[in-house]
Amino acid sequence: MASTGSAGVAEQMAGRKLPWSEIIAFVAIAGIVLAGVIAGVLAGASPQGILTNVGFYASIAVIFAVLALGFNLQWGYTGLFNAGIAGFYLIGAYTMAIAITAPAPPIVIGGIPVYPGHLGGYSLPLAVGAVLAMFASGAAAAIIALPALRLRADYLAIATLAFASILQIFANNLQSVTGGAIGITGIPKPIEFVSAEAPFLNAITIVGIGSAILLLLILLLQFMAESPWGRVLRAVREDEEATMALGKNTFNYKLQAFAMGGALMGLAGALFAVTLGYVSPSSSFAPAVTFSVWVMVIVGGSGNNRGAIVGAFLIYGLEWLSVQLKDYVPIALATGLPTLRSSLIVGGVAIVVAAVLLIVFGRYQPTSIWPRVLRKIRERGWVRNGVIGALALYALGWVFVLLEQFAPGAIGATIFYIRLMFIGVLLILLIIYRPEGILREHKRVLR
Amino acid sequence: MASETILRVNAVEKAFGGIQAVDRCSLAVLPRSITGLIGPNGAGKSTLFNIIAGLYRPDGGEIWFDGTRIDGLPPYEIVHLGLTKTWQIPHELRNLTVLENLVLAAKNNSGERLINLFLRPGQVKRDEKQWRARAREVLKLTQLDGLANEHARTLSGGQKKLLELSRALMSDPTLVLLDEPVAGVNPALAGSLMDLIEKLRQNGRTFFLIEHDMNVVMNRCDWVIVMHQGRRIAEGRPEMVKADPAVIDSYLGG
Repeated sequence: MASTGSAGVAEQMAGRKLPWSEIIAFVAIAGIVLAGVIAGVLAGASPQGILTNVGFYASIAVIFAVLALGFNLQWGYTGLFNAGIAGFYLIGAYTMAIAITAPAPPIVIGGIPVYPGHLGGYSLPLAVGAVLAMFASGAAAAIIALPALRLRADYLAIATLAFASILQIFANNLQSVTGGAIGITGIPKPIEFVSAEAPFLNAITIVGIGSAILLLLILLLQFMAESPWGRVLRAVREDEEATMALGKNTFNYKLQAFAMGGALMGLAGALFAVTLGYVSPSSSFAPAVTFSVWVMVIVGGSGNNRGAIVGAFLIYGLEWLSVQLKDYVPIALATGLPTLRSSLIVGGVAIVVAAVLLIVFGRYQPTSIWPRVLRKIRERGWVRNGVIGALALYALGWVFVLLEQFAPGAIGATIFYIRLMFIGVLLILLIIYRPEGILREHKRVLR
Repeated sequence: MASETILRVNAVEKAFGGIQAVDRCSLAVLPRSITGLIGPNGAGKSTLFNIIAGLYRPDGGEIWFDGTRIDGLPPYEIVHLGLTKTWQIPHELRNLTVLENLVLAAKNNSGERLINLFLRPGQVKRDEKQWRARAREVLKLTQLDGLANEHARTLSGGQKKLLELSRALMSDPTLVLLDEPVAGVNPALAGSLMDLIEKLRQNGRTFFLIEHDMNVVMNRCDWVIVMHQGRRIAEGRPEMVKADPAVIDSYLGG
């Protein structure tokens, strides 16, 4: 009995293919972190500073992962498009801030109002604040969904988009509640450290709490989404009318999924408030946050909870890395410019020589090489794309060299924005080669 | 009177824009019958089925099913009363497997309520197991058991039709509305499908079906209703309908 069992396991192991998608995703994320660490070392940061920095990456990535899980529940599973993720995130962050901070009365110095104060200052425990944040965002999601979910799908997107914009304006102008443009400061940390190493210890605590929450969430969501209940959500995504004709009250399911997704976004907001220590109606809640979360879920693989998390760590990783490289790239460019230029020249000459040789030999040989090469390039999609990609990289190299030559410092000053171009290229490549995302939705084989 | 018919449609109307798709149509279906609904394209047959199943709201008229007035009820409540329909163009849930498509069609699967997942996990497990076993039985009947764990999107057109019927059977309905059940299904399988329907009818189910295959209609139905321009223009035993001049004129051809 036992021997046949173990043989079966061995067979299974041999028959199972390596999880390449997971390996590639893991290597990519590890590579990003490593590149960030190397950039820190080259910039001469202390080991503790580098660790704090990596901890910051991890804690923000966890927050985005929670946002992505929420959006994945709404869109990846149920097919409900939320264009106002930033709005639910904002509600969570402000609810948390109002619930857990100490009272903050308005400050007036010499008759000039310096700080308008904000609602609350209830000094509640962090866990209570987080639950309140989830409740507030979930309730907001339900209230918006009630009318919008009865309409055609596009209206939900429009309603949520408008909702998020209105909330940001409210946060800015409803001074007595939100503290206006200054926002709410002095949000307590989970543990108050009083030493020189406080930033480092804070980062570690936040990462620990965030990871624990993320682990719990993925277990819970996996349990829920892969249950018969989750199956109805996926059915609604595929064909709502057919699901209704199979006896499901699809509106209820949509409402549940949307409210729960909103609650997760609220939890992300609560984590964000604690991580940063302050909230303000700044870029943290801009539409760009919504777009980032879309990208994370699409890249990671919609309909796959692990995919959403991978997407969050990857896409936020690129953003974080570009900040790390911001200081290092100008120096590297200035010193490496001659090498880059000469290698580009050598490479260009090599290409031209190779092309000339092909043409010349092609003329004198009965079986011409050149047309064959051309045909191969035309017929094989990936060869063609490889050639185009190589030429694009080559041209980009020259752009860098010439820019640095005639406008020194221009690249270093704009590297922060150039990264968006790279993320865009990555997205296009992914959409071409892996439209379902890195970790695709798997088939549920029922026993 | 009401007890003798399982389905009664009374002067039902439905217009789309300026087109009167169903025009004060009245008809009745007897329990334990296989009733055919025929008529030219655009006669309003599929629209009428969608109205009965609750997918469209009628502009006027009444629909009674098994002593309950069902017009205006949402589709999922009508399913729970025991009336299921299949689609003319298959509405398979593409990225779910065939087996998932079937299990989903079961009524009263306790795991589909979120709260039960946490409060009654044992019940959820038992229900799910029972419905999966039932789904496999149904798939054997419709000869799809070899494809149980394939994505529904990979099925051929005919197989999708079989999936439609299999799903309808999962909810244990008393009345099944079949919209062209054998269109695109190969003749041998279509024959055994109709045998299956005959067998299920003997077990007490009622079938009301739209079909263009006159062989099926003439040999398998015991009552035929003919629709034209949104109205019922004739009904009777198949051979009577076949000889009706109005039906020949509008549908069967000379």
